[in-house]
Amino acid sequence: MVLQNYDVILFLCSKLKFIVSSSVTEACNNSVLLLGPRGTGKVAVLELVLEDLLLEYPDMITLSGGVVFQIRLNGLLHSDDNSALKEIARQLCVEHQLVFSKMASFDDNSEFMIAMLRECGLAHKTVVFVLDEFDLFTQGKQRLLYALLDAMQSVTSQAVFIGVSCRLDADQLLEKRVKSRFSHRKLLFLPPSEEEIYRLLDHVLSLPVDSNLPHDYAMEFNAKLHSMFSDERFRQIIDSFMNFSPTVRHLVKFLFRAVSDMDLKLSNLSFENFKSAISSLQRQPKMECLRDCSILELYILVCMKRLEVKEQNSYSFSAVMKEYKSIHDSFQTSDYYSQDVCLRAFEHILQRGLVCFADGRGRIQSTEFRPVKLLISFAELSQGLKAHHLCPAILQKLAA
Amino acid sequence: MLGWFLQKRKMGKDEVPLITRRTTRSSSATAISTKNNVVESTTSTNICSPSPIDLLYGGEPIDLDVLLSNFPGRHPQIRELLQILGPLNAPMLPVFVYGGPSTGKTGILLQLFRHLNRPFVYSSCRTCYSPRILFESVLNQLSYHQKNSTNGYSSVKRCEKPSDFVNFLREALVGIVKSLKENRRKSKSSKKLERSIDGNMVYLIFDKLELVKDWDKSSTILPLLFNLDSMLNIPEVGLIFISSTPPDTFYSSMGYIEPIPLYFPTYNEDDLRQILVRNQANPKLYSSFLDVVLRPFCRITRRLDELSAVFSPLFIEYCKPLNDLAIVPNEDLKRKLFSNLQPHISLFLNETFRVLSQSSLGAERTKDGEPRGSKSKVGTCEDSDELDFHMSTSAKYLLISAFLASRNPATLDASFFDSRGGSADGRKRRRKPSEMAKGQKEAEEQELLSKGPGSFPLERLLAIFQCITSVAEDSLGEEVQEEDSLEVEGQNNPLMSDVLLQLSTLCNANFIVKGGTCPLEGSTRYRSVVSEDLALKVAKSVKFPLAKYVYRR
Repeated sequence: MVLQNYDVILFLCSKLKFIVSSSVTEACNNSVLLLGPRGTGKVAVLELVLEDLLLEYPDMITLSGGVVFQIRLNGLLHSDDNSALKEIARQLCVEHQLVFSKMASFDDNSEFMIAMLRECGLAHKTVVFVLDEFDLFTQGKQRLLYALLDAMQSVTSQAVFIGVSCRLDADQLLEKRVKSRFSHRKLLFLPPSEEEIYRLLDHVLSLPVDSNLPHDYAMEFNAKLHSMFSDERFRQIIDSFMNFSPTVRHLVKFLFRAVSDMDLKLSNLSFENFKSAISSLQRQPKMECLRDCSILELYILVCMKRLEVKEQNSYSFSAVMKEYKSIHDSFQTSDYYSQDVCLRAFEHILQRGLVCFADGRGRIQSTEFRPVKLLISFAELSQGLKAHHLCPAILQKLAA
Repeated sequence: MLGWFLQKRKMGKDEVPLITRRTTRSSSATAISTKNNVVESTTSTNICSPSPIDLLYGGEPIDLDVLLSNFPGRHPQIRELLQILGPLNAPMLPVFVYGGPSTGKTGILLQLFRHLNRPFVYSSCRTCYSPRILFESVLNQLSYHQKNSTNGYSSVKRCEKPSDFVNFLREALVGIVKSLKENRRKSKSSKKLERSIDGNMVYLIFDKLELVKDWDKSSTILPLLFNLDSMLNIPEVGLIFISSTPPDTFYSSMGYIEPIPLYFPTYNEDDLRQILVRNQANPKLYSSFLDVVLRPFCRITRRLDELSAVFSPLFIEYCKPLNDLAIVPNEDLKRKLFSNLQPHISLFLNETFRVLSQSSLGAERTKDGEPRGSKSKVGTCEDSDELDFHMSTSAKYLLISAFLASRNPATLDASFFDSRGGSADGRKRRRKPSEMAKGQKEAEEQELLSKGPGSFPLERLLAIFQCITSVAEDSLGEEVQEEDSLEVEGQNNPLMSDVLLQLSTLCNANFIVKGGTCPLEGSTRYRSVVSEDLALKVAKSVKFPLAKYVYRR
């Protein structure tokens, strides 16, 4: 497992395991929130813990499976109370090989859930409710949360309630009555530090020596890898990666990109693989857009910049056209095109996301008269003009 | 993209491809190839039992060299895609392919899957314009279900909610992966004549993702799609997103682990030249044509579709003085052709984006074609002042009144339209304004113009309409009329009921838009969005002196 070298994670793992197993052994209810930025391993730790528990308590196998089973809900899918309860009922049915009826109403489903909780409690089966994207469940009236937590308190059930969220203040979002039924246990997951990242790199990238790959090849590969870790340029790359976003999932994404770049003939990971991986993941989309613009589109952007510099609060495309005309009149450029052509070019840069309408979605006006604004900064614009291979010098002067 | 498209048509006519469910079931004549389907000729309709083979790209798989040669200038992107998709059965993280329009993203991906011979599910968010249609399209393809008349064009399952979609999707994908593994085992034992599939993986392709941002439910659908791989947690599934806007335009308050970005830059001039020259009957002639026109037109736009659209009529102009279209031009001839084309270039530059109406396409044109006059963004032709669509006379007058109502400020109505209907010509404003006042007035008028067309209530529109139709009756009074007697009767009552109908017609045709209601008055306000050129044309066709009534500097 990727996470076994990760000390903090181990600690959190054991804590979570303690919480869940105490519910199994002591037949009590528990609730906990797992919080942390996206990709730091919350769900991975949870899966680990549940797997371990399944191995640990196989002796109390009842008719329909193990001692611990989980019900998973996701805030993106089930934030609506009706669909959440329906999903709970469906998963309960699947677990216990019952027939699930799609026609059941909200009340039926909630009665069913409470009844099942009671039965599971009597049979000493622990139900683990896992709620991904927990903060999305706290929108609205929080009926589901209240129903679950209340059921856990009042009914003789053995349940663990685990919420997983990327919002660090997810527990502040709970209503008063829900909050009072919730034990304020929070486990905080943090992104790994630099040395932990190196340990992870080693663990993920090293080839296992005792697998079906030839032993010599694996040793040579690992040796080359370790020598690269101490290379200064490699450390610089890892530094820039850490500045960007050092969570475990991002690291896996970065390594995937590096490994897919590997030259199979060389059959070794080289420094260039990592370099191309980091540059392909750290892109500057606005710069790319600017480099792709045609010269007329650049003219329009420069005109808009000049209007903004003159501190015109809101200007429309027709004002941009006037500025364009005045530039042509004063500098006699060769790029003077008709209004329709300019309007179409303007629509292109609208599509690409370099400019946008300043009045939101509401107004029913034609494109020429709606207020517009630039979505790139002046510095980005001048940088993009410099990087453009065909930009006329006059434009760079005007944008300065 | 054009080159690839034409190449496929040529290829398809030569060979007899294998019929898969992905192709349209036309058991008779050859079907026209589209991006997904393949040209098929008449063969026996194979009633094959549905299997994952239906998820392959129809037709024979192609070589990598063929793929690379079909898409000039895209070698780095194709190589990167191949690296990310990986060798057989390699799991992958989601990929986000982005780049400007017509840069070959969809084309390359589909051809790549044809080359790799791996099953995929393709849905475009343009044809699947709502979440339900998108979900059902994906599920239909995964169940090899085709909508036809026998099942009443219905989907295999009704799926509206994201939670149902994820459940059904998981079921279907697990089923397909299992059947792929079984097929592999079976094919190892028996010699198969059918096409074999490579790998155990299934790929989901979502195209035109930028359109999802405009949907009502985009705040839930976009995070759902981007989080789909972690929700499904099936390693044999690969997700690919295609969009023409970069990934930073998709950021929202709901987070997700970003997919791996893959950028398709717009073609530079050399690539454009290579692509445009393909499939031309006389490449050398076309290449000399491109020498002349490519650079100036690239200053306006670098999009391949727009350039090819403007080059085809221009090339016809270029070849006019030639008698034999197959000759290879030498330097002399090139210079002659260039000087012949020169005056047309500037004309065409200003009409780069013009959409030509059907009548002018294809047929030999003696003068520049008629434009479609409906929207102001389409260029107008200097030669023709004719309207090329028909409107009834009362509708024309209504359009003119709407234009005047939007254009003139309401306070000046009295001076423009006096009670007798004649143009008052602003007699009150005859005194000569001072220099400063003139400058101020000009600035105000400019500002009024730049603010755009104003809105007006229905009563004002009707008042102006009555005014100018009475003017029209007077001016037409001497002429003999046999036409529609409705408006020349001198009675306005039958005219009024028609007016309201005409107004709703004009609204539907987007000549007039309905604005919001004023909370005090409670009546809706309208706004005219026709350009001045169109209004002039309409006025000319009914011989109405529009210039006298328009508020000008």
